[in-house]
Amino acid sequence: MNTPSPPPPSSPLNVDILCVGAGVASLATVLALLRSHKKNGGGNPPPRVVVLEKSRSIGNHVLSGAVIDPAAFEGLLDDAEILRLPVEAHVTREAFRFLAGARVSLPIPWVPPMMRAQGFPIGSLSKITRHLALLCEAEGAEIYCGFAVAELLEDETGRIIGARTGARGMNRSGQPKSNYAPSEEIRARAIVLGEGTCGYLTERLIAAHGMQACRPQTYALGVKELVEIPENEARCGEILHTFGHPAGIGDYGGGFVYHTSATEVMVGYVYGLDYARPETDIHALFRRFKAHPAIAPHMAGGKVVAYGAKTIPEGGLFSVPSLVTDGALIVGDSGGLLDSLRIKGIHMAMQSGRLAGETLAAAWRVDNFGVTGLAAYERALRDSPIWRQLRRVRNVRASFSRNIALGVAAAGCAWLTHGVLPWWKVSMEPDHVALRPARRGVATTPSHPEVSPLSPDHLTDVFLSGTIHDEDQPCHLLILDREKCTECITRYGAPCRHFCPAEVYRLEDGQIHTDFSNCVHCKTCQIKDPYANIRWTPPNGGDGPRYTRI
Amino acid sequence: MHIVVCLKQVPDTANVRINPETNTLMREGAESITNPFDEYALEQALRLKDAHGARVTTLTMGPSQAEVVLREAIARGADQGFLISDQAFAGSDTWATSYVISRAIKKLRPAADIVLFGKQAIDGETAQVGPGVSEFLNYKLVTYARSITVGTDGRFTAETLMDEGIEVIECSLPVVATVLREALPPRYATLAGWMRARRVKIPAWDASRLGVVPDLCGLKGSPTRVVKIFAPPMKAGGIRMDGREMPSLAVEAILRILRDKGVAK
Repeated sequence: MNTPSPPPPSSPLNVDILCVGAGVASLATVLALLRSHKKNGGGNPPPRVVVLEKSRSIGNHVLSGAVIDPAAFEGLLDDAEILRLPVEAHVTREAFRFLAGARVSLPIPWVPPMMRAQGFPIGSLSKITRHLALLCEAEGAEIYCGFAVAELLEDETGRIIGARTGARGMNRSGQPKSNYAPSEEIRARAIVLGEGTCGYLTERLIAAHGMQACRPQTYALGVKELVEIPENEARCGEILHTFGHPAGIGDYGGGFVYHTSATEVMVGYVYGLDYARPETDIHALFRRFKAHPAIAPHMAGGKVVAYGAKTIPEGGLFSVPSLVTDGALIVGDSGGLLDSLRIKGIHMAMQSGRLAGETLAAAWRVDNFGVTGLAAYERALRDSPIWRQLRRVRNVRASFSRNIALGVAAAGCAWLTHGVLPWWKVSMEPDHVALRPARRGVATTPSHPEVSPLSPDHLTDVFLSGTIHDEDQPCHLLILDREKCTECITRYGAPCRHFCPAEVYRLEDGQIHTDFSNCVHCKTCQIKDPYANIRWTPPNGGDGPRYTRI
Repeated sequence: MHIVVCLKQVPDTANVRINPETNTLMREGAESITNPFDEYALEQALRLKDAHGARVTTLTMGPSQAEVVLREAIARGADQGFLISDQAFAGSDTWATSYVISRAIKKLRPAADIVLFGKQAIDGETAQVGPGVSEFLNYKLVTYARSITVGTDGRFTAETLMDEGIEVIECSLPVVATVLREALPPRYATLAGWMRARRVKIPAWDASRLGVVPDLCGLKGSPTRVVKIFAPPMKAGGIRMDGREMPSLAVEAILRILRDKGVAK
């Protein structure tokens, strides 16, 4: 009797709007769409809006600093709703420091005007996402977690008409297990891609539909921990940004310390993935950052209780792809909408979502989800303050990739001249090309500070991310060509061992092994592998990190 | 055949920590999940449904937010769910909980033929409510089942996992059984299933609806008193043999220790 029950016949599920990913960009889209329809829909029935999220519950795959530019909420939430957001604190004191070496730090006497964040809300974006999801559900949206979307469906004209979820319940070799669940097909009038950074479907859509930006996207990796400290009411609301140590003079890296409550500090380190040295280990840099005497006192007596890592699309304006195609549009990080000067994306994600939602409401009224119906989204975006900011800082990140002085100069010029200078397009190569071969004979194992409750090693942090994958499933990190691995090991010394913030990749007996169950879905491997030889694909829906308060 | 599966919503203990000062659970950041053992019980029920076309009813006792475990079960293939919820039930120990759940099961029509529980819940770890309910219902009890079948003649057969081996128990219905995680892994909820489950109406049954005697439930009806909760001291972390360089040396060292202790020859 204990044979698998026959899979139910899979008839396509029909919805009006399908959003892939329940992050803040998608949820802002949904909220704006349903509210705009309520206001301007003339009593017509609202669209059926369905959101699919690959994590087990809402917010589990959402990670950010986060000091939020309150522009995020404009036109989306009213004042009373903003007050009810689960925000622990507002910025009361901000500082900006240059860490000159492992012991010395210099305060920057004034926080650069473009960095100022006085009064901005700080907190866990995962919590805010859960809250936004409740608002969306109250407006009638349906949100389903534990479903990774594996494929977009097109008709013969190239119009996006639906999506297919990933099959679940296969063993390591891809054979169905007793709980095999086949993929399901969903038909939709329009699809919103809010997959976050380096989106699995988004990337493929952009490539297939020729929607590429004029410059390849460039990323940074952010690693972050939540530290519980003995109660310190005085520091609540204090934030600190740093640059310099442990990043080298030519590197683009910086740290942050946010006191989100009297007993919680969020500490993180962001490092550009255009680095050259293959032995670079950003988790190790993070640990050295935390050990700096300017940083350690913020966490004194505390204990790391949560960890996460995510990549940040930093390319800016010149790396923003076309955001609209027939039947689909792209919002938030998936579209590279991020202010790379301030490394702030939440407000851009939410505002792009708002404009997308308003466009979809109008498209629903006139029943036009083709390019002509959805193009209003891109037009509205170009007229919006977020686009002005993207224009203003469009060359800052690329200038930093040359060197820090040029970067600072570009940032200053961009600010002073409102983006008129530099007027040209500073070029930048894709991150994986930036890697230089390892120096022969130099076995570079970066020195780590001693392991402690405030400086956990890789695997302890992986545990603290809460990440879980069913180990008896096909490995979701595809190594496309094993021969390239051999070449990479000789030439670059297997940098995957170092750049992965979750210690997925191991070099053993001259072979790369992937402990995919450690994966925190940051996609650094796909971005940084020098041969572009690794593909991140969605594992079983519901698997992955469990960010809840970080 | 009518199969009832009792589910419990529990904090995800993988994320729960104990406050070292107060010895209480720190629920901050911990999500609520369906007790994993109960998911195996549900899977058993759904397997029987697949084979015999049974009706599968799910029950949970808890606050209103526990409703989601019923919806998840319906998304996986259960037919209906009932939420047993009343302020008066707060603080019920396993005896009072067994009493209340048995009252709810008695209300169901047609009468339950099989009542399934997970072996135990991962929060309390008592493994008492299933057996308690069997007493209150006066149903036969089978514990630690890893597989359950029902023959065409209506005979109930379960393989149960005992310390010494596998015991095969055969009996007539009705029966209460508790299910192990060694059973078949739970199926995934489908998207179509979730869409259906979202719309299902979940009736809530309170104390008066169940006709329970107030003195027999909640804190008042609970003979158990929790005197103290504490985190046991951390065990010193054993002996580690690093076998990465020379596995055979590590094996020899381990064997030597086992011989010294008289475990191995």
